[in-house]
Amino acid sequence: MPNDAGDNAKSIWKNQHVEPVHVSLTELRKKAKKFERRVFWRNLREYAASVIVVAGFGFYIWKFPAPMARFGCVLVIAGVLFVVHTLHKRGSSRSLPAELTLCDCLEFHRKELERQRDLLRSVWTWYLLPLVPGLLVFLLGIYQWQMKRPGAQTRFITIHLGFTAVVCAVVFIAVGQLNQWGARKLQQKIDALNNLEREP
Amino acid sequence: MNTEPVGEAPSRQDELYREAASSYSPALERLARGYEADPDRRRDLVQEIHLALWQSFAVFDARCSVRTWIYRVAHNIAASHVIREHRVNSRTLVGLEMLETLPIDNDGQRDADQRHALEKLLKLIQRLNPLDRQVIVSYLEDLDAASIAEITGLSPGNVATKIHRIKKILADRFHEGGHHAE
Repeated sequence: MPNDAGDNAKSIWKNQHVEPVHVSLTELRKKAKKFERRVFWRNLREYAASVIVVAGFGFYIWKFPAPMARFGCVLVIAGVLFVVHTLHKRGSSRSLPAELTLCDCLEFHRKELERQRDLLRSVWTWYLLPLVPGLLVFLLGIYQWQMKRPGAQTRFITIHLGFTAVVCAVVFIAVGQLNQWGARKLQQKIDALNNLEREP
Repeated sequence: MNTEPVGEAPSRQDELYREAASSYSPALERLARGYEADPDRRRDLVQEIHLALWQSFAVFDARCSVRTWIYRVAHNIAASHVIREHRVNSRTLVGLEMLETLPIDNDGQRDADQRHALEKLLKLIQRLNPLDRQVIVSYLEDLDAASIAEITGLSPGNVATKIHRIKKILADRFHEGGHHAE
């Protein structure tokens, strides 16, 4: 008896004991302010890693006298600033997304998934590639600088910097692949939602 | 509890929120139960919904009914909550189609008690993916298929299919006997 079961379930559901939460407007205003502060700190945490990288390469500019290495540092810092700008523009932490009220649930859910998918899918263009020129120029600059130093051990320097370059490349490729995999998983969910919409 | 500053003229946003809160608070509390089992986290979720509702009324343009607006905002906030929590503790969420095939955890004796029937119903709802959860919670709130379609964005036909599945699942899991509302 599906209808009876449905009615029973509705009755159980609607007769459950609930203690409705009463939130005053004053409390809501306070919460809104608190929430804004939380978003601010969350954004700040997201940018903290970039601040560390910028500070690190800023230090290298001061430490390494080689112009090419210094130029590499400047490029890396520019790359990091580009990443931060993109993160900010794409809004990883938003206070109240417009879609929340303008879209129905299906559309809202899809937009959220698409936003995350696009961020992951384009990770090479906005996150990884902007850092590559700077790192390459920096490593080349360090290589040249060390080779020019008296008593430089060519073989050791080559192996050391070559190994560093390989580690960087492996990390970049792994991060890129992991994000592509994540984007594919999200795409499957988006396809499932699209199929739902196509159904009569 | 409701201590508003004296003499401050309420804005349209405040008025809309007040009306919504007075009419829909129990429904929002029930909705939150469908999305969050932990009482503390549920309280946070309910407050988050209230906050989002109040903020959303600043841009309410009457393109849809207040009821549809309230449910959309509430479900969207709750679905985001589920997705966020799901990332932290990755329990597998399923659709109605999958739920139909899962073994029935039936305990006839316990089901006689309404409280246990409610617990069982909540467990069932909390296993579902966000979209199907929106449909079942709206169905249990006695919304008709057209309203559910408007809130969720699914086609009316799709909602009807899902409601049919929901009824079948409920019939399978709450069959025969004493879980009527007291």
